Amino acid sequence: MTYPRIIDDGSVWIVIMPPVIWAGHFLAAYWIAAVWCARGMGVLAPAAWAILALTLIALAAIGWIARIATVRYEGLLRHEASIADDRERSRERFLGHVALLLCALNAVAVIFTAAPSLVFGQC
Amino acid sequence: MTGLPDIGPAPPDDAARDRAERDDLLAAWETPSGFRRLSAVNNSLIGRWYLGTAFGFFLFAGVLALMIRTQLAVPDNSFLSMELYNQVFTLHGTAMMFLFAIPIFEAVAILILPEMLGARDLPFPRLSAFGFWCFVIGGTFVCGSIFFGAAPNGGWFMYAPLSSDTDQTGIGTDIWLLGLSFIEVASIAAAIELIVGVLKCRPPGMRINLMPLYCWYVLVVAGMILFAFPPLIAGDLLLEMERAFDWAFFDADRGGDPLLWQHLFWIFGHPEVYIIFLPSIALIATMLPALARTRIVGHSWIVLSAIGVAFLSFGLWVHHMFTTGLPNISLGFFSAASEAVAIPTGIQIFCLLATVLVGRATASVPLLFAGGALAIFVFGGLTGVMVAVVPFDFQAHDSHFVVAHLHYTLIGGMLFPIFAAVYYWHPFVTGRMLSPRLGRWAFWLIFAGFNITFLPMHWTGVLGMPRRVWTYAEEMGWGALNMTSTIGAYILATGVAIMVFDVVRPRRFKAPAGVDPWKAPTLEWLREGPGHPWGIRSVPVITTRYPLWQQPGLFEEVTRGKWFLADASGGHREMIVTDILDARPMFVQRVPGPGWVTILSAAFLGAVFILATWHLWTAAVLCGGGFLATVLWWLWTGTGGVPPTPERDCGRGLILPLYASGNGSVGWWAMFITMIGDTTAFAGLVFAYAFFWTVHPAFPPPGSEPPGLPTAALAALSLSVAWLLMTVAQGANRAGRGSLSRWALAIVPLAAAAGVASLVLAAGAVGLDPTRHAYDATVWVLILWIGVHVAVGVIMDLYCLARLMAGRMDASHDAELRNSVLYWNFLLVQALVTIAVIGLFPLVSGGIR
Repeated sequence: MTYPRIIDDGSVWIVIMPPVIWAGHFLAAYWIAAVWCARGMGVLAPAAWAILALTLIALAAIGWIARIATVRYEGLLRHEASIADDRERSRERFLGHVALLLCALNAVAVIFTAAPSLVFGQC
Repeated sequence: MTGLPDIGPAPPDDAARDRAERDDLLAAWETPSGFRRLSAVNNSLIGRWYLGTAFGFFLFAGVLALMIRTQLAVPDNSFLSMELYNQVFTLHGTAMMFLFAIPIFEAVAILILPEMLGARDLPFPRLSAFGFWCFVIGGTFVCGSIFFGAAPNGGWFMYAPLSSDTDQTGIGTDIWLLGLSFIEVASIAAAIELIVGVLKCRPPGMRINLMPLYCWYVLVVAGMILFAFPPLIAGDLLLEMERAFDWAFFDADRGGDPLLWQHLFWIFGHPEVYIIFLPSIALIATMLPALARTRIVGHSWIVLSAIGVAFLSFGLWVHHMFTTGLPNISLGFFSAASEAVAIPTGIQIFCLLATVLVGRATASVPLLFAGGALAIFVFGGLTGVMVAVVPFDFQAHDSHFVVAHLHYTLIGGMLFPIFAAVYYWHPFVTGRMLSPRLGRWAFWLIFAGFNITFLPMHWTGVLGMPRRVWTYAEEMGWGALNMTSTIGAYILATGVAIMVFDVVRPRRFKAPAGVDPWKAPTLEWLREGPGHPWGIRSVPVITTRYPLWQQPGLFEEVTRGKWFLADASGGHREMIVTDILDARPMFVQRVPGPGWVTILSAAFLGAVFILATWHLWTAAVLCGGGFLATVLWWLWTGTGGVPPTPERDCGRGLILPLYASGNGSVGWWAMFITMIGDTTAFAGLVFAYAFFWTVHPAFPPPGSEPPGLPTAALAALSLSVAWLLMTVAQGANRAGRGSLSRWALAIVPLAAAAGVASLVLAAGAVGLDPTRHAYDATVWVLILWIGVHVAVGVIMDLYCLARLMAGRMDASHDAELRNSVLYWNFLLVQALVTIAVIGLFPLVSGGIR
């Protein structure tokens, strides 16, 4: 008997990636600010620009995954009952749906993280 | 449809066959009697003991809470001495968090998860038993200390430099550090077991989209434990090295920084709040469909929330450190993440409320407690959103407002769901119902008592009363509020006492429950109940999310033994292992039965930690040897080996192999998951290095020379050779070239020893002294880490060699070797990172100037 491969066949990677992107963006923003401020650089603008650039990249990456997830889920706003069937396709659609929802959540979280960079002028 | 091979017809009803199979099952699964009962490892018994012990610690910590409230009832009180008060509040927090809130998740999961998955046990029953005994020994050690006036007294988060100063805090801090590290071992052991259980031990056909929500939560939470606990273990290691051997990590005079402890503690501590909260919400999500007679609303939304919370909760730790003087922009990031986590948390609550609304809920005690849980938790969540706002937190920090907030989230988010679960699953465990009348009394007393205790505390905090103060002057005006809180605490305790009475009163006074009193949809209600230690009679194919509702006839088919593994021929304890995505059967795993080896090894390991507390190094090392010997004996006699027959007929035409190695086997996954956790702890140490680099103007500091590059490179080379030899041994063995394989394994210790020796030489030659500066100490602790790991790797290597020579491994039965190679893969990465950090990093950066 052959078994589907977890990472690629199983669409598990599109479930894991959105939060991982958030985590990477969050840590990068934290480290850039921490190191910048530890160097005694008072004005935040260059660090803030770097963080905002990272934010755009992170959002683009989440958007790309959301696209894949939409294809797996076969839509954006469908009723979910048909993803509880005992079929391989249903499993794919279910994971696609979870991934899509995670994309939305993590896009919001990434924007939340970026917000302080727009507000603060000084360390 | 199920992706399974053709399933044969069910055997006809046959009373004689049924009886014979049941006798076989009983012979395999029978619980030993008399004092031998202690050697049992079956999940239903270990789960019950775990639950009982955790509740015991809960009641103990509850009595401490009443002592705190009694002391604070009136101004200028002297009910407790100041020193004893410090010990009491520290132990209250410590026991509630480490000995109740986390273990209760593991206890409940060990008890109900296998049954919910239609499995007869978890994949590593002896590991569950080992974890349980570690928990008992460690918990008793930590709690018992208060009877000798030696309990920890530095608060449950044990901040340095108070805790790192041996003159300020005595033996209690060592008891806390070593006792809890020991218990964390048990928690991680349970997490590994639960992850493998959810991923690999589902019933055939239960695809990942059909898995109950409880399993999703268990998976997510066990994963969180794997990433959250190791940083604390790393922190414990650093703090204990400073206390015992004067290594400089937290001493600012020697380049250390107390803030490092806060980082490491809260990288653990904040996810921990969600590690406690999510499994309890999972219990509500499991009970609600049965109580409201409907499917859960928004199944995949809840899965999203669980995963989302799990990740976001790792970005919140600094909100415990808003007043430590970090840059404002950093506080902004953590404030934002703290607000963001409210979104997935809210989604879960709304899904649960919607389920109650669309269903036909009837009043019952579990539903009362579930409702109380949501009400209280939402309130605590809202004050959480308040304290996540930095300026507000500046005002409320370290006041009783925070005490009120955390009790609302933890008691609403954890205790009430657990109480609901006690009423709901009591018939599952005992076959008897708890009294609805006493249950309603208990609920209203606990609910009212809780709010009378903690609601006024918000005001006490806003009026300026700091947390943890021993007493207060009358003119502060906090007396009436505190008296109210104290009265509420005793009302709450009365409610708990009623519940405890209901649970412990003799069986004959409780109403019989029948098989499935709640008409629940999940598989655990298929179990045969008390007196049938094998759990489920036969393992069915699952094709729906709510099998007992949506698969008519399932109950009769399963209980009449018409599905897989209905027998236990040969007296083996067996379970079907399936694949992760679609739960297609892969092989039959034979699991070990009762044994004393688990208790012995837990006792030896416990002795190591306890003796180390008093610096009795020789005895501790001897016990460490005893631990190693018992673990090797456990592995040698209880795991692996070539099965007498290659396959097993599971019934209905399903024939499965009896052996698996590599990434199909459960052991490989356990090793993989263990090493993820282990690498996280290692990352905690690397974080310490990076942290010191950011806080020092020059790192390595003036006067410290970094380890020499040529020697470090030699270490990298030797350890790479050791890893390569392991890989060669595995390949040669697979190819049937046994002697090459054995030779490669025999040379590994030499290469490994050369690697460690070069590392020690690299640091020693430049005179790095761990008691001189934080830089030296951090380099040495990284080397120590690698050294210990290489030693473990060599033991694995020699074990594999011995197994090959004893004929217990061969070309096609090589699980131990493949697991060892996996370990060495992780070890090589850690070693190379260490060498890069201590050897290469100082060349590219002299630090921030």
